[in-house]
Amino acid sequence: MTDVTFPAMSEDADATGVVSTWFVESGETVKVDQLVAEVAMDKVDTEVLAPAAGTITVVAGEGEEVAQGAVIARIE
Amino acid sequence: MASETSAATTPAHDLPQEPDPGTRRLSTAKAMVEAIAQQMRVDDSVFVLGEDVGAYGGIFSSTTGLLDEFGAKRVLDTPISETAFIGLGIGAAVEGMRPIVELMFVDFFGVCMDQIYNHMAKIHFESGGNVRVPMVLTSAVGGGYSDGAQHSQCLWGTFAHLPGMRIAVPSTPYDAKGLMTAAIRSDDPVIYLFHKGVMGLPWMKKNRRSIGAVPEEPYEVPLGKAKVCREGSDVTVVTLSLGVHHSLDVAEKLVDDGISVEVVDLRSVVPLDRDTVVASVRKTGRLVVVDEDYQSFGLSGEVITSVVERNPASLRAVERVAVPDVPIPYSRDLEYAVLPTPARIEEAVRRVMQG
Repeated sequence: MTDVTFPAMSEDADATGVVSTWFVESGETVKVDQLVAEVAMDKVDTEVLAPAAGTITVVAGEGEEVAQGAVIARIE
Repeated sequence: MASETSAATTPAHDLPQEPDPGTRRLSTAKAMVEAIAQQMRVDDSVFVLGEDVGAYGGIFSSTTGLLDEFGAKRVLDTPISETAFIGLGIGAAVEGMRPIVELMFVDFFGVCMDQIYNHMAKIHFESGGNVRVPMVLTSAVGGGYSDGAQHSQCLWGTFAHLPGMRIAVPSTPYDAKGLMTAAIRSDDPVIYLFHKGVMGLPWMKKNRRSIGAVPEEPYEVPLGKAKVCREGSDVTVVTLSLGVHHSLDVAEKLVDDGISVEVVDLRSVVPLDRDTVVASVRKTGRLVVVDEDYQSFGLSGEVITSVVERNPASLRAVERVAVPDVPIPYSRDLEYAVLPTPARIEEAVRRVMQG
């Protein structure tokens, strides 16, 4: 199982951001480097690509505020 | 328009038209960028210019990442002089390039309309058909986020009234990519109007229809071909752009009340697919036109006229939901009072059901 984490976007270790958009749904199969989400922190948007292939389970929903480094999805 | 004669410089290889969407999803903005990037990879004559199209990536993310891939010689940030850089695009197009020129907000057409209408749209005709202008003019349209009367208009009816330009208006990621590909490959000038509310931007109010399945390979959605995006038997709603999202939401809601709504997405204003409109109204007998442009002298009247001219007996009841003829207000409540909201669309559908 591989964690999909909120990317490091700030030097502040406690910084939080928002999961803006999911391009996949739980239960779908993803390929390595497939675009799965877009996240935002301090008005900067970043794409999140799948770190592994497999079946994805979304953990943090759209609009949810999470800390950078936190798990936002899992791929099995 | 020169649609029947546009073979002069079009690439010989045909792309598939409207393939199966597959399962990979993109936002409308990313789909638009993917279309541009794919055509830039295979055709050196395609390049992009406009205000903030480079490092910023387009203020509505319409060119994000292009500078990184293609460099500053093919992705040009311009000074704030729309007349100058649209003129530059026209000159390049006349010389055989395929420029994609972004006018940041369509509302800014006022300072550069001579270039757009007296040059871009007319050179082909004035040269007796000898000179082509294979250019795409992209622009952000639409309101709903309190940007005031000079940053919230749609204006597709204004351009459509003037002969010589094709006008593409996507509502989904799938159509955004296919229409952009077709626009770049067209030998005619195309105006490509993207509503800020369909782009799937993280910072705008987002309808789930702004994220959708998009084929990875290049393909074309032909201009002039509307799409029946929901079939129904009681009422035809003819709309485009963000109006499609709202109308589909209303159609889903009205199922519970036993009202069957057919939704037609025009996808382009010029050419206007009158055949699909007339065929749908022949089936339902009731027509609601949902148009975020101004009500009078525009698209909504033209759509209704298509039915009145061709099959008047088919039309039992008609309504339009457009912007009443006032500038778009800044005040949120006033703005939402004039926009074609789902609530106004639902009221109109219920009214035509009385007829």
